[in-house]
Amino acid sequence: MSTGVNPAGGGAVSPAARDAAQPGTATAERPAGPGTASAPAGGWLSRWRRRRPARLLSMPSRLAMWGGVVLALGAYTLFGLVPTVGNALISLTDYQDFPGEPFNFIGLSNYTDMFTNERPGVTAAIKATIIFVLAVTIVQNAIAMMLAHRLSGPGRTTAILRVLVFLPAVLGVVVGGLIWILIFSPSGGPAASVWSLFGASSSFFGSPSLAMPLVIFVQIWLSLGFTSLVFIGGLKAIDPAIYEAAQIDGIRRWQRFRRITWPLMAPSVTANVLLAVVGAMTVFQTIYVLTDGQNGTMTLGMLSFNTAFGTGSNLAFGAAVSTSLFLVTLVLAVPLMWILRWRERRLLG
Amino acid sequence: MYKRKRPRTSPRRSLAAVAVIGLAAAGLAACGSSSGGSGKATGTLKIITWVNPPAITAFKKIDAEFEKANPGVHVDLGSAENVNGPYKTLLHTAVSGSSADIVTLNQQVQPLPPQMTTSNLSEWQDWAVHGVFAPLNGQSYLKDYTSAANATETYQGKQYGVVSGMYQEGIFYNKAIFARYHLSPPTTYSQFLTVLRTLKSHGVTPMWLGLGAVGPTYLQFIYYPLMHSLWGAKLPGGNIATALQKGTTKWTDPAFATAMSEEKTLGQYLEPGYTGEAWQGMPGAFAAGKAAMLLDGSWDLATVQQANPKIQVGYFPVPGSNTAADNASIGTYDLTFSIPNASPNKTLAEKWLAFFSTPKIYSQYVDITGISSSQTSGTFNSFASHVLGSYFGKAALTSTVLPFLSDNASYWDQPANWPTLQQDVINGSKTPQQVGQLYQSGWKVSG
Repeated sequence: MSTGVNPAGGGAVSPAARDAAQPGTATAERPAGPGTASAPAGGWLSRWRRRRPARLLSMPSRLAMWGGVVLALGAYTLFGLVPTVGNALISLTDYQDFPGEPFNFIGLSNYTDMFTNERPGVTAAIKATIIFVLAVTIVQNAIAMMLAHRLSGPGRTTAILRVLVFLPAVLGVVVGGLIWILIFSPSGGPAASVWSLFGASSSFFGSPSLAMPLVIFVQIWLSLGFTSLVFIGGLKAIDPAIYEAAQIDGIRRWQRFRRITWPLMAPSVTANVLLAVVGAMTVFQTIYVLTDGQNGTMTLGMLSFNTAFGTGSNLAFGAAVSTSLFLVTLVLAVPLMWILRWRERRLLG
Repeated sequence: MYKRKRPRTSPRRSLAAVAVIGLAAAGLAACGSSSGGSGKATGTLKIITWVNPPAITAFKKIDAEFEKANPGVHVDLGSAENVNGPYKTLLHTAVSGSSADIVTLNQQVQPLPPQMTTSNLSEWQDWAVHGVFAPLNGQSYLKDYTSAANATETYQGKQYGVVSGMYQEGIFYNKAIFARYHLSPPTTYSQFLTVLRTLKSHGVTPMWLGLGAVGPTYLQFIYYPLMHSLWGAKLPGGNIATALQKGTTKWTDPAFATAMSEEKTLGQYLEPGYTGEAWQGMPGAFAAGKAAMLLDGSWDLATVQQANPKIQVGYFPVPGSNTAADNASIGTYDLTFSIPNASPNKTLAEKWLAFFSTPKIYSQYVDITGISSSQTSGTFNSFASHVLGSYFGKAALTSTVLPFLSDNASYWDQPANWPTLQQDVINGSKTPQQVGQLYQSGWKVSG
């Protein structure tokens, strides 16, 4: 049964678009003009002319378009690429940002020190990061998927629930973090009161066993709104006719999810999983507000911030930690994206 | 009816407008905060400090009075939270960007290690040693400060900063609760244990401490005084830091193990869940009567008074020894002012320091901040001076207790990790002897 799905991803196309598109064509028909059917066959010029898209924009519009691209690239280069490369270069020196003090090139010493001297607890940070990334990615996406099903329907109540789910993202890390610090205050916060009903007490964010699960919980709470929003968009892009057809065939709820919703949501899953992994790898704001990296919550992102700017700061070493984090994230994210995109193609055809 | 269409803006004009805005923004971003040269006594004076609410209040008052006394001058006070967090970033950028005229910090130049290397100096020390700060020698107001305070900012005969005062740490107790159970401030360790047990037997939380979001570094309110009274008392000049740096004592010294054992005992009298209690809430919790005593520094006294103006507060140092004379208040010089050499307005900065040091302005500063005076004379009426009583301005410095811990040192001797083992002692997961061994195993003697 054709699902009418756009092979390029992004969910199903509408029935009208599906009927209009002919198999094998990727673009609408173009008016005849230079470089199309009347051009002489053969020769690289004529092949190039046939491949060139028709000029849909006027020269001034194209200039404006390219101007925007150049500005965006310029801003990305200035505020993204240059600091990244600068950071990597600093990591190869003993630079400490002391005015007037010379610094020296020391090669990969900062990197070897990370593991040979166990200088700032890198191994522990790596373990904490793995736990944090896995937990946040899996749990956040699972809950967001369930919420998206509930929140994608019509109705006033659903609209209100959507706002409530998205509210943490609007509050921001600092306000959201402070709310949970108050809730989990050991001396009179609501959580302590509930805990005492079971005859127990805890220091919550001060407990080595509870601090990390609580930080993971708060991180998920903060990010759930955005993740759900992406899934809601993916759900809404699925052609309802597919569900109607499946219902006529007598499909059950779980089968409906497994065989229709899950495959067609592949692009949304790709986006959310990638964002969750990369975000969790580099997060430090939430941890900074809640625990400052104490009690086993020092991830690589938090470590790189603390090393560069915390007590006994060491800028060059912090640069090495953050460059390592960048490389590890890249090494993880690129194959992950590859796998997810391959999965998309396999599921969507 | 024909309607003439409003002509669309030409894309060329749009591009030109965007380019002009972009160039203007780049130009504005490139401009530094110039205040008109280093030699004028007018213009804008930029001072940076961290957020210590009473100190900010004091600065704002002083700055307003300075502006009134110097027409044409504007004082721009910049601040950031947490002296070890965002303020450090502000300090770095201000010093390297030459955008501040006066910078403040809670560290001093001295004591320097016997042999200086790039890895055993704090940033402040490194800056001073490398001439980042302007020498203040010859300034008339320096004679108003104690020789000890001036000496901590001096290197090779040049003084690089003004120490505005000293904060003192120890136990602040609720006089009403003590009176209720007929308790007196203890002067020995045994007396202290009696007080703690009495309070606990009546269901009163004996001591309040918050490590939430700051970690075990705040156990310093316990380990500093214990180390001083039990270990420092046995060393020349009471200086543990120098002895460790020279190698004349070791972390495995039995006196240090005794101090940690006492720390473990005292830890049982803290409120449940103290590791998760927010450190910012400590003064408020004490003011609300949640505990009989507060382990803290005098910088929080103003906040305690603000939270509960009726509270009657007393002070005593943590008594680690049964020899009363060995127990002392622990203090740390704080809010040190320095002028970067690259300050845009050095003359104005020196004028501000002179104004700050005048008796009327300085006593106003001490009264508002609760800091203990570092001047040779003066009359002070702060809440802190009444609370500290005879201990006001008299303390053993923290720099004589714990040597500078470098981030380049071995794992357990790094500043971020050293306090963690103190927490392990209190938890019982490590013995004092094990902790001493861990500190000593990687310790490098530098003298």
